[in-house]
Amino acid sequence: MMINAWDVVFFFLAGLILLSALGVVFIRHPVYSALSLLANLCVTAILYLSLMGAPFIAMVQIIVYAGAIMVFFLFVIMLMNLSKGEYQERAVPWRLLLGLGAAALFAFQIFILAGEWRGVLSPGAGGFGVKALSHFIFTRYILAFELVSVLIFVAALGAVALAKKKL
Amino acid sequence: MGVGLFQYTVLSVLVFLLGALGLMIRRNAIIMFLCMELMLNGVNILFMALARSKGSVEGQVIVLFVMAVAAAEAAIGMAIITSFYRSRGGIGVDRADLMKW
Repeated sequence: MMINAWDVVFFFLAGLILLSALGVVFIRHPVYSALSLLANLCVTAILYLSLMGAPFIAMVQIIVYAGAIMVFFLFVIMLMNLSKGEYQERAVPWRLLLGLGAAALFAFQIFILAGEWRGVLSPGAGGFGVKALSHFIFTRYILAFELVSVLIFVAALGAVALAKKKL
Repeated sequence: MGVGLFQYTVLSVLVFLLGALGLMIRRNAIIMFLCMELMLNGVNILFMALARSKGSVEGQVIVLFVMAVAAAEAAIGMAIITSFYRSRGGIGVDRADLMKW
């Protein structure tokens, strides 16, 4: 059985992604949980950059997710200044069991589907650059692109309105 | 053997499932939001792998749109959580019990 270097890179990055995802779910302190998600997003960006040949998506992932969205989360967590008793939740065994059961059922369904998806992905560079990506965005997906800009505008307005109003 | 679409699918499904599990077992509103971002990230990995395997760039376009929607969702969600915190004095979702008067 041949093991090449790219496979090692993939399994290393996949292990890091799963480890940090476990951290998001099971760490009790919200700040550490958010930092674990930050690690997850950064390792995913490395995966895109190294194995999938998508440098633009990797950079956007870092800037938008790790930059903007995580700052949102950390800002709100620190704004609330939760005390220790506030973020500690009681562990409810039946809830964990129910969640694991639903997750297992869902995993079973998807692994049936995924079994048909064979084929080796060529790792490394040689993917698509910004030019190919922007060609599609500004021709076939132009309507979706404009709608997304409207969506973000409305979301910004809505966030301001929600934060101001006394509910 | 090489790493193929199957391994990427397993990775993305596991990330999605961890997000879904966290959404079900955590009761802190902010951490539930983090888990939703985790689910979106898992879906993004699958889109990227499919785009790579089909030799098409359109999967990457979809990933960009998913990121934009995630940003909008995070802005609205954080505003809702802030407002909820001010009116209820906490962010446990068990406090959102106005409907069961």
